[in-house]
Amino acid sequence: MKTTTPGCRFLLYLVPCLLASFLLLVYPVYVIRPFRAQGVQELSVALAVIRYRAPFMVASAAAAFVALVWYWRRERRWFRRAVSAAGALAVVAMGLASRVNIYELMFHPLGPPAFMAAGQSKLDGDEMVIAIHVGPIARAYPIRNISYYHIVNDLVDGVPIAATY
Amino acid sequence: MWRAEVDGLRLRFHLAGINDQNFLMRDEETGSYWQQITGAAISGPLAGRRLTLVASDELTFATWKAEEPQGTVLREIAADTSLYAPKDWDVQMLKAPTVIAYPEYGLAPRELMLGLHGFGASRAFRYDALLKDKLIQDHLGSEPVLLVVAQDGHSARAFRRRIPGFPAVPDFYRVLPGQSASPAALLMDSATGSEWNFQGCALSGKSRGLCLERVESIKDYWFDWRHFNPATTVYREKRN
Repeated sequence: MKTTTPGCRFLLYLVPCLLASFLLLVYPVYVIRPFRAQGVQELSVALAVIRYRAPFMVASAAAAFVALVWYWRRERRWFRRAVSAAGALAVVAMGLASRVNIYELMFHPLGPPAFMAAGQSKLDGDEMVIAIHVGPIARAYPIRNISYYHIVNDLVDGVPIAATY
Repeated sequence: MWRAEVDGLRLRFHLAGINDQNFLMRDEETGSYWQQITGAAISGPLAGRRLTLVASDELTFATWKAEEPQGTVLREIAADTSLYAPKDWDVQMLKAPTVIAYPEYGLAPRELMLGLHGFGASRAFRYDALLKDKLIQDHLGSEPVLLVVAQDGHSARAFRRRIPGFPAVPDFYRVLPGQSASPAALLMDSATGSEWNFQGCALSGKSRGLCLERVESIKDYWFDWRHFNPATTVYREKRN
């Protein structure tokens, strides 16, 4: 009777881990990308994938690692060990990549915002600002700045404000 | 501009994606995803909830500073200034492609509009037309409204065209520079003969001290306004 080789058995575990991790990582990136119309259903699915994928990514990485340890105990050739390790590492790397917010890599988030008195600002008079007035506090957010960060989490007279553009 | 809390829970938002060229935000506290333009949560534990809009204006810095000399301005971050939009960013954006278009009304996707919400209706006004005419009197739903451009020629606001305590719906007229003793006078109304400033407050006449009610407005590209306001109507400019 033909027996399955350790390499084949390892691939039987690794390939599904690779595929699952790849799909969970790439599907939301594919759907939620600029200059593409997002359908309501596919967006809903993509956001659900982002919200719920973490445990599956962890399980996939753990399974790939366990399979790698099992395989290394049976395989002495360095080249096959290296390739198998690369495969398992790819699963782990995709899991780590899924934790990265690529939008905040493209646009640095603004930490706690700082403000200066209107009279001290060197803004040109024709610069456009988004202005709010909450209680006694008047605040302006220059559009050229806020359009980069997209969101400024602020607190104005005790009221939490998301200044968005 | 949104009040960043729901049921007393303060929310801190992060840029989290894009939906039909309008960005998505995710709050740290619940992991819910929110549409920036509508303030609606579309996914997550708070799905279906809406943030409360905070009234805001898009003004020139000079006009804002004249109105709010005690106000404060967001500081630049020195390390990020090279990443901020260039001065002509609004011109450059006109060339950016769009993935959705609404060719009804003959409007280009990136035509700038001033969109108004209120009284159960939404209505959009071509921003260039408003800047050219400087004063538009129209209706939003059944309510008479007034759109006015400041002396700077770039800032615009919208008001409900009703003077508190006066039942008749007034007509407003532009006051030309030099026609009034008050440099802040921008408009005059037909019901009380009062002069009004860009903040919608009467400076003289029978309405002195009264202010018009502001109407929520937002400057937006036509495709984006129409996409998220499907029931919007569009103001038709009068042809000479």
